[in-house]
Amino acid sequence: MIHFNNVTKTYPNQNRPALDRVSVDVDKGEFVFLVGPSGSGKSTFLRLILREEKPDSGTIHVAGKDLSRLSNFKVPHLRRRIGCVFQDFRLLPNKNVYENVAFALEVIGKPRRFIRKVVPEVVELVGLEGKAHRMPHELSGGEQQRVAMARAFVNRPMILLADEPTGNIDPATSIGIMKVLDRINRTGTTVVMATHDAAIVDSMRKRVVELEDGRIVRDQSRGVYGQAY
Amino acid sequence: MRAGFIFSEVWIGLRRNATMTIALIVTVAIGMALLGIGMMINTQVSSAKNYWTDKVEISVFLCQKNSPFDNCKGKGGITQAQKAKLEQQIKAMTEVERVEFEDQAQAYENFKQQYANNSVLVAATRVEDMPESFRIKLKNPENYGNVIETLQKAEGVSQVVDQRKIVDNFFGFLGTLRSSALIVALIQVFAAILLIGNTVRLSAYNRRRETAIMRLVGASNLYIQAPFVLEGMVAGLIGGVISGFMLVAAKIVIFDGMQNYLVAAARMTWEDVAIVIAFTMAVGVLICVIASFVTLRRYLKV
Repeated sequence: MIHFNNVTKTYPNQNRPALDRVSVDVDKGEFVFLVGPSGSGKSTFLRLILREEKPDSGTIHVAGKDLSRLSNFKVPHLRRRIGCVFQDFRLLPNKNVYENVAFALEVIGKPRRFIRKVVPEVVELVGLEGKAHRMPHELSGGEQQRVAMARAFVNRPMILLADEPTGNIDPATSIGIMKVLDRINRTGTTVVMATHDAAIVDSMRKRVVELEDGRIVRDQSRGVYGQAY
Repeated sequence: MRAGFIFSEVWIGLRRNATMTIALIVTVAIGMALLGIGMMINTQVSSAKNYWTDKVEISVFLCQKNSPFDNCKGKGGITQAQKAKLEQQIKAMTEVERVEFEDQAQAYENFKQQYANNSVLVAATRVEDMPESFRIKLKNPENYGNVIETLQKAEGVSQVVDQRKIVDNFFGFLGTLRSSALIVALIQVFAAILLIGNTVRLSAYNRRRETAIMRLVGASNLYIQAPFVLEGMVAGLIGGVISGFMLVAAKIVIFDGMQNYLVAAARMTWEDVAIVIAFTMAVGVLICVIASFVTLRRYLKV
Protein backbone atom coordinates (compact mmCIF):
# COMPACT_ATOMS: atom_id res chain seq x y z
CA MET A 1 0.00 0.00 0.00
CA ILE A 2 2.87 2.36 0.92
CA HIS A 3 6.28 1.56 -0.44
CA PHE A 4 9.40 3.68 0.18
CA ASN A 5 12.57 2.65 -1.64
CA ASN A 6 15.79 4.38 -0.61
CA VAL A 7 14.07 7.73 -0.20
CA THR A 8 16.14 10.81 0.64
CA LYS A 9 14.67 14.27 1.19
CA THR A 10 16.64 17.40 2.04
CA TYR A 11 14.82 20.69 2.50
CA PRO A 12 16.32 23.79 0.88
CA ASN A 13 18.92 25.57 3.06
CA GLN A 14 19.36 22.54 5.28
CA ASN A 15 22.59 20.62 5.28
CA ARG A 16 21.18 17.51 6.97
CA PRO A 17 18.55 15.43 5.14
CA ALA A 18 15.12 15.18 6.78
CA LEU A 19 14.89 11.61 5.52
CA ASP A 20 18.02 9.65 4.69
CA ARG A 21 17.80 6.58 2.46
CA VAL A 22 14.58 5.32 3.98
CA SER A 23 13.11 2.04 2.74
CA VAL A 24 9.90 0.75 4.26
CA ASP A 25 6.85 -1.25 3.20
CA VAL A 26 3.38 -0.92 4.67
CA ASP A 27 0.83 -3.51 3.55
CA LYS A 28 -2.86 -3.05 3.06
CA GLY A 29 -4.78 -3.03 6.31
CA GLU A 30 -1.71 -2.60 8.52
CA PHE A 31 -1.57 -0.31 11.57
CA VAL A 32 1.83 1.35 11.91
CA PHE A 33 3.14 3.67 14.61
CA LEU A 34 5.79 6.11 13.49
CA VAL A 35 7.85 7.13 16.53
CA GLY A 36 10.96 9.18 17.14
CA PRO A 37 11.97 12.53 18.63
CA SER A 38 10.90 15.85 17.09
CA GLY A 39 12.77 16.54 13.88
CA SER A 40 13.44 12.87 13.24
CA GLY A 41 11.51 12.95 9.97
CA LYS A 42 8.04 11.68 10.90
CA SER A 43 6.15 14.60 9.41
CA THR A 44 8.31 14.57 6.29
CA PHE A 45 7.44 10.90 5.89
CA LEU A 46 3.72 11.71 6.01
CA ARG A 47 4.08 14.73 3.69
CA LEU A 48 5.87 12.59 1.12
CA ILE A 49 2.98 10.10 1.14
CA LEU A 50 0.56 12.97 0.48
CA ARG A 51 2.91 14.33 -2.18
CA GLU A 52 3.05 17.65 -0.40
CA GLU A 53 6.78 17.20 -0.98
CA LYS A 54 8.79 15.34 -3.57
CA PRO A 55 11.83 13.23 -2.63
CA ASP A 56 15.30 14.17 -3.89
CA SER A 57 16.01 10.54 -4.70
CA GLY A 58 14.40 7.15 -4.29
CA THR A 59 10.91 6.07 -5.28
CA ILE A 60 7.61 6.14 -3.43
CA HIS A 61 4.57 4.06 -4.35
CA VAL A 62 1.25 4.85 -2.70
CA ALA A 63 -1.92 2.86 -3.46
CA GLY A 64 -0.23 1.36 -6.50
CA LYS A 65 0.88 4.72 -7.95
CA ASP A 66 4.48 5.80 -8.52
CA LEU A 67 4.42 9.30 -7.04
CA SER A 68 7.45 10.49 -9.02
CA ARG A 69 5.51 9.84 -12.20
CA LEU A 70 2.22 11.26 -10.96
CA SER A 71 1.33 14.51 -12.71
CA ASN A 72 0.26 17.50 -10.61
CA PHE A 73 -3.10 17.19 -12.24
CA LYS A 74 -3.67 13.77 -10.66
CA VAL A 75 -2.46 14.63 -7.15
CA PRO A 76 -6.01 15.48 -5.94
CA HIS A 77 -7.13 12.00 -6.92
CA LEU A 78 -4.32 10.50 -4.88
CA ARG A 79 -5.34 12.58 -1.90
CA ARG A 80 -8.93 11.39 -2.15
CA ARG A 81 -7.65 7.94 -1.24
CA ILE A 82 -5.81 9.24 1.81
CA GLY A 83 -7.46 10.59 4.96
CA CYS A 84 -5.59 12.94 7.29
CA VAL A 85 -5.87 13.76 10.98
CA PHE A 86 -3.73 16.34 12.78
CA GLN A 87 -2.83 17.36 16.30
CA ASP A 88 -4.71 20.67 15.85
CA PHE A 89 -7.94 19.14 14.39
CA ARG A 90 -8.21 21.76 11.59
CA LEU A 91 -11.99 22.06 11.69
CA LEU A 92 -13.85 24.96 10.10
CA PRO A 93 -15.03 27.09 13.03
CA ASN A 94 -18.10 28.48 11.26
CA LYS A 95 -19.48 25.08 10.28
CA ASN A 96 -21.15 22.54 12.56
CA VAL A 97 -20.13 18.89 12.91
CA TYR A 98 -22.29 17.69 10.04
CA GLU A 99 -21.17 20.52 7.73
CA ASN A 100 -17.51 19.98 8.57
CA VAL A 101 -17.73 16.34 7.56
CA ALA A 102 -19.92 17.07 4.55
CA PHE A 103 -17.44 19.74 3.34
CA ALA A 104 -14.90 17.04 2.50
CA LEU A 105 -17.41 15.44 0.13
CA GLU A 106 -18.84 18.66 -1.27
CA VAL A 107 -15.46 19.90 -2.47
CA ILE A 108 -14.81 16.71 -4.41
CA GLY A 109 -18.17 17.08 -6.11
CA LYS A 110 -20.17 14.26 -4.47
CA PRO A 111 -23.93 14.50 -5.00
CA ARG A 112 -26.04 15.84 -2.16
CA ARG A 113 -28.07 12.64 -1.78
CA PHE A 114 -24.91 10.62 -1.23
CA ILE A 115 -23.67 13.14 1.35
CA ARG A 116 -26.94 13.02 3.30
CA LYS A 117 -26.66 9.28 3.47
CA VAL A 118 -23.02 8.73 4.44
CA VAL A 119 -22.26 11.65 6.74
CA PRO A 120 -24.62 10.52 9.56
CA GLU A 121 -23.18 7.01 9.33
CA VAL A 122 -19.63 8.24 9.81
CA VAL A 123 -20.63 10.67 12.56
CA GLU A 124 -22.08 7.68 14.38
CA LEU A 125 -18.98 5.55 13.68
CA VAL A 126 -16.75 8.05 15.51
CA GLY A 127 -19.21 8.17 18.43
CA LEU A 128 -20.76 11.61 17.92
CA GLU A 129 -24.38 10.58 17.33
CA GLY A 130 -26.75 13.33 18.48
CA LYS A 131 -24.05 16.02 18.19
CA ALA A 132 -24.21 16.60 14.43
CA HIS A 133 -25.46 20.16 14.83
CA ARG A 134 -22.96 21.32 17.45
CA MET A 135 -20.37 23.91 16.50
CA PRO A 136 -16.69 23.02 17.01
CA HIS A 137 -16.28 25.48 19.92
CA GLU A 138 -19.07 23.70 21.77
CA LEU A 139 -17.14 20.43 21.71
CA SER A 140 -14.31 19.08 23.86
CA GLY A 141 -10.88 18.46 22.33
CA GLY A 142 -11.56 14.74 22.09
CA GLU A 143 -14.89 15.31 20.38
CA GLN A 144 -13.29 17.75 17.94
CA GLN A 145 -10.70 15.14 17.03
CA ARG A 146 -13.53 12.67 16.42
CA VAL A 147 -15.06 15.15 13.97
CA ALA A 148 -11.68 15.42 12.21
CA MET A 149 -11.50 11.62 12.02
CA ALA A 150 -15.02 11.44 10.63
CA ARG A 151 -14.01 13.97 7.96
CA ALA A 152 -10.86 12.01 7.14
CA PHE A 153 -12.76 8.75 6.88
CA VAL A 154 -16.03 9.83 5.26
CA ASN A 155 -14.74 9.22 1.73
CA ARG A 156 -13.60 5.70 2.77
CA PRO A 157 -9.89 6.27 2.05
CA MET A 158 -7.49 3.36 1.62
CA ILE A 159 -4.99 5.02 3.92
CA LEU A 160 -5.44 7.13 7.04
CA LEU A 161 -2.51 9.29 8.14
CA ALA A 162 -2.58 10.62 11.69
CA ASP A 163 0.03 13.16 12.79
CA GLU A 164 0.07 13.08 16.59
CA PRO A 165 -3.72 12.88 16.84
CA THR A 166 -3.61 12.62 20.63
CA GLY A 167 -1.05 15.41 21.08
CA ASN A 168 -3.62 17.90 22.41
CA ILE A 169 -5.77 15.42 24.30
CA ASP A 170 -5.59 14.03 27.83
CA PRO A 171 -4.66 10.34 28.26
CA ALA A 172 -8.15 9.17 29.23
CA THR A 173 -9.75 10.74 26.16
CA SER A 174 -6.89 9.50 23.98
CA ILE A 175 -8.00 5.92 24.59
CA GLY A 176 -11.36 6.75 22.97
CA ILE A 177 -9.56 8.28 19.98
CA MET A 178 -7.41 5.17 19.60
CA LYS A 179 -10.53 3.01 19.71
CA VAL A 180 -11.97 4.95 16.78
CA LEU A 181 -8.68 4.61 14.86
CA ASP A 182 -8.70 0.88 15.60
CA ARG A 183 -12.30 0.65 14.37
CA ILE A 184 -11.30 2.43 11.15
CA ASN A 185 -8.32 0.08 10.77
CA ARG A 186 -10.62 -2.94 11.14
CA THR A 187 -12.60 -1.82 8.06
CA GLY A 188 -9.44 -2.58 6.07
CA THR A 189 -8.01 0.94 6.04
CA THR A 190 -4.25 1.19 6.39
CA VAL A 191 -3.39 3.49 9.32
CA VAL A 192 -0.06 5.29 9.78
CA MET A 193 0.14 7.26 13.02
CA ALA A 194 3.03 9.47 14.05
CA THR A 195 3.14 9.88 17.82
CA HIS A 196 5.12 10.68 20.95
CA ASP A 197 2.63 8.92 23.20
CA ALA A 198 4.49 5.95 24.70
CA ALA A 199 1.53 4.67 26.71
CA ILE A 200 -0.64 4.37 23.61
CA VAL A 201 2.03 2.64 21.54
CA ASP A 202 2.73 0.20 24.35
CA SER A 203 -0.92 -0.62 24.91
CA MET A 204 -1.79 -1.22 21.23
CA ARG A 205 1.06 -3.64 20.45
CA LYS A 206 1.13 -2.79 16.73
CA ARG A 207 3.99 -2.44 14.29
CA VAL A 208 6.42 0.33 15.30
CA VAL A 209 8.79 2.15 12.94
CA GLU A 210 11.27 4.35 14.77
CA LEU A 211 13.04 7.22 13.04
CA GLU A 212 16.09 9.08 14.27
CA ASP A 213 17.80 11.86 12.33
CA GLY A 214 15.98 10.80 9.21
CA ARG A 215 16.92 7.14 9.37
CA ILE A 216 14.93 4.09 10.35
CA VAL A 217 16.57 2.70 13.48
CA ARG A 218 13.90 0.12 14.33
CA ASP A 219 11.05 -1.63 12.53
CA GLN A 220 9.29 -4.06 14.79
CA SER A 221 5.94 -5.82 14.54
CA ARG A 222 3.94 -5.78 17.80
CA GLY A 223 6.49 -3.32 19.20
CA VAL A 224 6.63 -0.86 22.07
CA TYR A 225 7.53 2.84 22.16
CA GLY A 226 11.13 2.60 23.30
CA GLN A 227 13.34 -0.45 23.68
CA ALA A 228 14.83 0.97 26.87
CA TYR A 229 11.66 0.21 28.73
CA MET B 1 -19.44 20.05 -10.10
CA ARG B 2 -21.71 21.30 -7.39
CA ALA B 3 -22.69 24.73 -8.68
CA GLY B 4 -24.86 25.57 -5.67
CA PHE B 5 -22.02 24.87 -3.27
CA ILE B 6 -19.52 26.98 -5.21
CA PHE B 7 -21.92 29.90 -5.57
CA SER B 8 -22.64 29.95 -1.85
CA GLU B 9 -18.86 30.08 -1.27
CA VAL B 10 -18.59 32.97 -3.75
CA TRP B 11 -21.39 34.86 -2.05
CA ILE B 12 -19.79 34.41 1.38
CA GLY B 13 -16.46 35.57 -0.04
CA LEU B 14 -17.93 38.70 -1.63
CA ARG B 15 -19.76 39.61 1.57
CA ARG B 16 -16.69 39.15 3.72
CA ASN B 17 -14.75 41.59 1.52
CA ALA B 18 -17.70 43.92 0.98
CA THR B 19 -15.69 47.17 0.96
CA MET B 20 -13.06 45.76 -1.37
CA THR B 21 -15.72 44.35 -3.67
CA ILE B 22 -17.55 47.67 -3.86
CA ALA B 23 -14.31 49.51 -4.65
CA LEU B 24 -13.62 46.99 -7.39
CA ILE B 25 -17.12 47.26 -8.85
CA VAL B 26 -16.98 51.06 -8.93
CA THR B 27 -13.55 51.05 -10.54
CA VAL B 28 -14.58 48.55 -13.18
CA ALA B 29 -17.82 50.45 -13.85
CA ILE B 30 -16.06 53.78 -14.38
CA GLY B 31 -13.23 52.26 -16.37
CA MET B 32 -15.55 50.37 -18.68
CA ALA B 33 -17.91 53.33 -19.06
CA LEU B 34 -15.00 55.50 -20.19
CA LEU B 35 -13.76 52.80 -22.53
CA GLY B 36 -17.29 52.62 -23.93
CA ILE B 37 -17.53 56.38 -24.35
CA GLY B 38 -14.21 56.33 -26.17
CA MET B 39 -15.56 53.66 -28.48
CA MET B 40 -18.82 55.56 -29.02
CA ILE B 41 -16.89 58.67 -29.96
CA ASN B 42 -14.93 56.54 -32.38
CA THR B 43 -18.09 55.19 -33.98
CA GLN B 44 -19.47 58.70 -34.16
CA VAL B 45 -16.35 60.11 -35.76
CA SER B 46 -16.12 57.41 -38.38
CA SER B 47 -19.79 57.59 -39.37
CA ALA B 48 -19.65 61.39 -39.47
CA LYS B 49 -16.41 61.29 -41.43
CA ASN B 50 -17.86 58.91 -44.00
CA TYR B 51 -20.76 61.23 -44.41
CA TRP B 52 -18.64 64.31 -44.70
CA THR B 53 -15.91 63.01 -46.95
CA ASP B 54 -18.01 63.21 -50.09
CA LYS B 55 -19.85 66.31 -48.90
CA VAL B 56 -16.87 68.47 -48.20
CA GLU B 57 -16.77 71.30 -50.63
CA ILE B 58 -15.96 74.97 -50.91
CA SER B 59 -18.95 77.25 -50.58
CA VAL B 60 -18.81 80.59 -52.32
CA PHE B 61 -21.53 82.71 -50.80
CA LEU B 62 -22.85 85.56 -52.89
CA CYS B 63 -23.77 89.06 -51.88
CA GLN B 64 -27.42 89.92 -51.37
CA LYS B 65 -29.16 93.14 -50.56
CA ASN B 66 -28.13 94.24 -47.10
CA SER B 67 -25.44 91.59 -46.74
CA PRO B 68 -23.46 92.44 -43.62
CA PHE B 69 -20.15 91.26 -45.05
CA ASP B 70 -17.38 93.76 -45.80
CA ASN B 71 -17.06 92.57 -49.42
CA CYS B 72 -20.66 93.49 -50.21
CA LYS B 73 -21.22 96.67 -48.22
CA GLY B 74 -22.71 99.50 -50.24
CA LYS B 75 -22.83 97.42 -53.44
CA GLY B 76 -26.27 95.85 -53.10
CA GLY B 77 -26.86 92.32 -54.31
CA ILE B 78 -24.94 90.50 -56.98
CA THR B 79 -26.09 91.15 -60.53
CA GLN B 80 -26.97 88.43 -63.03
CA ALA B 81 -23.99 89.47 -65.17
CA GLN B 82 -21.62 89.18 -62.24
CA LYS B 83 -23.07 85.81 -61.35
CA ALA B 84 -22.53 84.48 -64.90
CA LYS B 85 -19.02 85.87 -64.99
CA LEU B 86 -18.20 84.28 -61.66
CA GLU B 87 -19.50 80.91 -62.80
CA GLN B 88 -17.30 81.14 -65.93
CA GLN B 89 -14.32 82.01 -63.79
CA ILE B 90 -14.87 79.03 -61.47
CA LYS B 91 -15.38 76.60 -64.31
CA ALA B 92 -12.15 77.80 -65.93
CA MET B 93 -10.07 76.81 -62.88
CA THR B 94 -8.10 73.60 -63.36
CA GLU B 95 -8.54 72.49 -59.73
CA VAL B 96 -12.32 72.42 -59.93
CA GLU B 97 -14.09 69.14 -60.57
CA ARG B 98 -17.62 70.46 -60.73
CA VAL B 99 -19.64 73.42 -59.53
CA GLU B 100 -23.28 73.74 -58.62
CA PHE B 101 -25.41 76.74 -57.98
CA GLU B 102 -27.57 76.69 -54.89
CA ASP B 103 -30.42 79.18 -54.88
CA GLN B 104 -32.28 80.45 -51.84
CA ALA B 105 -35.09 77.85 -51.96
CA GLN B 106 -32.65 74.99 -52.18
CA ALA B 107 -30.49 76.42 -49.43
CA TYR B 108 -33.57 76.69 -47.24
CA GLU B 109 -34.47 73.03 -47.89
CA ASN B 110 -30.99 71.87 -46.93
CA PHE B 111 -31.08 74.07 -43.88
CA LYS B 112 -34.43 72.61 -42.78
CA GLN B 113 -33.14 69.10 -43.19
CA GLN B 114 -29.90 69.77 -41.37
CA TYR B 115 -31.60 71.39 -38.38
CA ALA B 116 -34.68 69.15 -38.33
CA ASN B 117 -34.27 68.71 -34.57
CA ASN B 118 -34.21 72.41 -33.93
CA SER B 119 -37.70 73.54 -34.88
CA VAL B 120 -37.32 76.93 -33.21
CA LEU B 121 -34.39 77.81 -35.42
CA VAL B 122 -36.15 76.56 -38.55
CA ALA B 123 -39.31 78.49 -37.73
CA ALA B 124 -37.37 81.71 -37.18
CA THR B 125 -35.62 81.51 -40.54
CA ARG B 126 -37.20 82.62 -43.81
CA VAL B 127 -36.27 81.66 -47.33
CA GLU B 128 -35.11 85.23 -48.00
CA ASP B 129 -32.54 84.91 -45.22
CA MET B 130 -30.74 82.15 -46.99
CA PRO B 131 -27.70 83.12 -49.09
CA GLU B 132 -27.17 82.02 -52.66
CA SER B 133 -23.94 80.16 -53.25
CA PHE B 134 -21.77 78.21 -55.62
CA ARG B 135 -20.81 74.81 -54.29
CA ILE B 136 -17.43 73.76 -55.61
CA LYS B 137 -16.11 70.26 -55.49
CA LEU B 138 -12.35 70.09 -55.95
CA LYS B 139 -10.50 67.36 -57.77
CA ASN B 140 -8.07 67.20 -54.89
CA PRO B 141 -9.48 68.66 -51.67
CA GLU B 142 -5.94 69.53 -50.50
CA ASN B 143 -5.57 72.24 -53.16
CA TYR B 144 -8.10 74.63 -51.73
CA GLY B 145 -5.72 77.48 -50.86
CA ASN B 146 -5.38 79.02 -54.35
CA VAL B 147 -9.07 78.65 -55.19
CA ILE B 148 -10.19 80.35 -52.02
CA GLU B 149 -7.72 83.19 -52.44
CA THR B 150 -8.82 83.94 -56.01
CA LEU B 151 -12.54 83.73 -55.38
CA GLN B 152 -12.39 85.79 -52.22
CA LYS B 153 -11.42 88.82 -54.37
CA ALA B 154 -14.08 88.26 -57.06
CA GLU B 155 -16.94 90.72 -57.55
CA GLY B 156 -20.17 89.97 -55.71
CA VAL B 157 -18.68 87.30 -53.41
CA SER B 158 -19.50 87.79 -49.75
CA GLN B 159 -17.55 84.95 -48.24
CA VAL B 160 -15.70 81.76 -49.20
CA VAL B 161 -16.00 78.94 -46.71
CA ASP B 162 -13.94 75.78 -46.79
CA GLN B 163 -16.02 73.19 -44.98
CA ARG B 164 -12.96 71.11 -44.31
CA LYS B 165 -11.88 73.61 -41.71
CA ILE B 166 -15.16 73.38 -39.80
CA VAL B 167 -15.26 69.61 -40.03
CA ASP B 168 -11.63 69.28 -39.02
CA ASN B 169 -12.19 71.43 -35.96
CA PHE B 170 -15.12 69.27 -34.96
CA PHE B 171 -13.21 66.05 -35.47
CA GLY B 172 -10.22 67.45 -33.65
CA PHE B 173 -12.39 68.16 -30.63
CA LEU B 174 -13.91 64.67 -30.71
CA GLY B 175 -10.47 63.14 -31.09
CA THR B 176 -9.18 64.90 -27.98
CA LEU B 177 -12.27 63.80 -26.09
CA ARG B 178 -11.78 60.23 -27.17
CA SER B 179 -8.08 60.17 -26.26
CA SER B 180 -8.74 61.55 -22.80
CA ALA B 181 -11.57 59.05 -22.21
CA LEU B 182 -9.34 56.18 -23.27
CA ILE B 183 -6.41 57.34 -21.15
CA VAL B 184 -8.58 57.59 -18.04
CA ALA B 185 -10.11 54.20 -18.92
CA LEU B 186 -6.63 52.71 -19.08
CA ILE B 187 -5.76 54.13 -15.65
CA GLN B 188 -8.99 52.68 -14.28
CA VAL B 189 -8.21 49.28 -15.74
CA PHE B 190 -4.80 49.40 -14.09
CA ALA B 191 -6.41 50.35 -10.77
CA ALA B 192 -8.93 47.54 -11.20
CA ILE B 193 -6.15 45.03 -11.70
CA LEU B 194 -4.41 46.16 -8.52
CA LEU B 195 -7.70 46.01 -6.62
CA ILE B 196 -8.36 42.50 -7.87
CA GLY B 197 -4.91 41.50 -6.67
CA ASN B 198 -5.75 42.82 -3.23
CA THR B 199 -9.20 41.24 -3.20
CA VAL B 200 -7.79 37.87 -4.09
CA ARG B 201 -5.17 38.17 -1.38
CA LEU B 202 -7.79 39.03 1.24
CA SER B 203 -10.00 36.25 -0.01
CA ALA B 204 -7.17 33.76 0.09
CA TYR B 205 -6.40 34.80 3.66
CA ASN B 206 -10.04 34.64 4.75
CA ARG B 207 -10.42 31.24 3.20
CA ARG B 208 -7.06 29.77 4.15
CA ARG B 209 -8.58 27.09 6.41
CA GLU B 210 -11.08 26.00 3.80
CA THR B 211 -8.40 25.97 1.12
CA ALA B 212 -6.05 23.89 3.27
CA ILE B 213 -8.77 21.31 3.90
CA MET B 214 -9.81 21.27 0.27
CA ARG B 215 -6.24 20.48 -0.72
CA LEU B 216 -6.05 17.81 1.93
CA VAL B 217 -9.20 15.94 0.96
CA GLY B 218 -8.28 16.05 -2.72
CA ALA B 219 -10.45 18.78 -4.17
CA SER B 220 -9.38 19.49 -7.74
CA ASN B 221 -7.60 22.74 -8.54
CA LEU B 222 -10.69 23.86 -10.40
CA TYR B 223 -12.78 23.52 -7.25
CA ILE B 224 -10.21 25.37 -5.15
CA GLN B 225 -9.73 28.20 -7.63
CA ALA B 226 -13.27 28.58 -8.90
CA PRO B 227 -14.61 30.65 -5.97
CA PHE B 228 -11.77 33.17 -6.34
CA VAL B 229 -12.14 33.54 -10.08
CA LEU B 230 -15.92 33.65 -9.83
CA GLU B 231 -15.68 36.40 -7.22
CA GLY B 232 -13.70 38.47 -9.71
CA MET B 233 -16.14 37.57 -12.44
CA VAL B 234 -19.23 38.54 -10.45
CA ALA B 235 -17.63 41.86 -9.48
CA GLY B 236 -16.66 42.46 -13.10
CA LEU B 237 -20.18 41.61 -14.26
CA ILE B 238 -21.85 43.93 -11.77
CA GLY B 239 -19.39 46.68 -12.73
CA GLY B 240 -20.15 45.98 -16.38
CA VAL B 241 -23.90 46.27 -15.86
CA ILE B 242 -23.43 49.59 -14.07
CA SER B 243 -21.19 50.83 -16.88
CA GLY B 244 -23.91 49.74 -19.31
CA PHE B 245 -26.37 52.07 -17.59
CA MET B 246 -23.75 54.85 -17.66
CA LEU B 247 -23.30 54.34 -21.41
CA VAL B 248 -27.04 54.49 -22.02
CA ALA B 249 -27.08 57.74 -20.08
CA ALA B 250 -24.08 58.99 -22.09
CA LYS B 251 -25.85 58.20 -25.37
CA ILE B 252 -28.92 60.16 -24.28
CA VAL B 253 -27.19 63.11 -22.63
CA ILE B 254 -24.00 63.61 -24.62
CA PHE B 255 -24.47 62.08 -28.03
CA ASP B 256 -28.16 62.79 -28.63
CA GLY B 257 -27.50 66.34 -27.45
CA MET B 258 -24.58 66.70 -29.81
CA GLN B 259 -26.56 65.23 -32.69
CA ASN B 260 -28.73 68.29 -32.94
CA TYR B 261 -25.74 69.63 -34.82
CA LEU B 262 -25.30 66.59 -37.01
CA VAL B 263 -27.28 65.35 -39.99
CA ALA B 264 -29.41 62.25 -39.57
CA ALA B 265 -27.10 60.04 -41.63
CA ALA B 266 -24.25 60.54 -39.18
CA ARG B 267 -26.19 59.75 -36.01
CA MET B 268 -25.35 56.93 -33.65
CA THR B 269 -28.03 54.25 -33.36
CA TRP B 270 -29.03 52.20 -30.29
CA GLU B 271 -27.59 49.23 -32.11
CA ASP B 272 -24.15 50.87 -32.01
CA VAL B 273 -24.63 51.48 -28.29
CA ALA B 274 -25.65 47.86 -27.67
CA ILE B 275 -22.50 46.62 -29.39
CA VAL B 276 -20.35 48.97 -27.33
CA ILE B 277 -22.04 47.88 -24.07
CA ALA B 278 -21.65 44.19 -24.89
CA PHE B 279 -18.00 44.73 -25.75
CA THR B 280 -17.15 46.73 -22.62
CA MET B 281 -18.92 44.21 -20.38
CA ALA B 282 -16.98 41.38 -21.96
CA VAL B 283 -13.73 43.32 -21.50
CA GLY B 284 -14.58 44.10 -17.85
CA VAL B 285 -15.35 40.48 -17.02
CA LEU B 286 -12.33 39.23 -18.92
CA ILE B 287 -9.96 41.62 -17.16
CA CYS B 288 -11.34 40.60 -13.76
CA VAL B 289 -11.14 36.87 -14.51
CA ILE B 290 -7.63 37.03 -15.92
CA ALA B 291 -6.37 39.26 -13.10
CA SER B 292 -7.93 36.94 -10.48
CA PHE B 293 -6.45 33.91 -12.11
CA VAL B 294 -2.96 35.39 -12.36
CA THR B 295 -2.84 36.77 -8.80
CA LEU B 296 -4.36 33.54 -7.49
CA ARG B 297 -1.15 31.75 -8.29
CA ARG B 298 0.77 34.09 -6.03
CA TYR B 299 -1.41 33.74 -2.97
CA LEU B 300 -2.88 30.27 -3.29
CA LYS B 301 -0.78 27.15 -3.31
CA VAL B 302 -2.58 24.34 -5.03
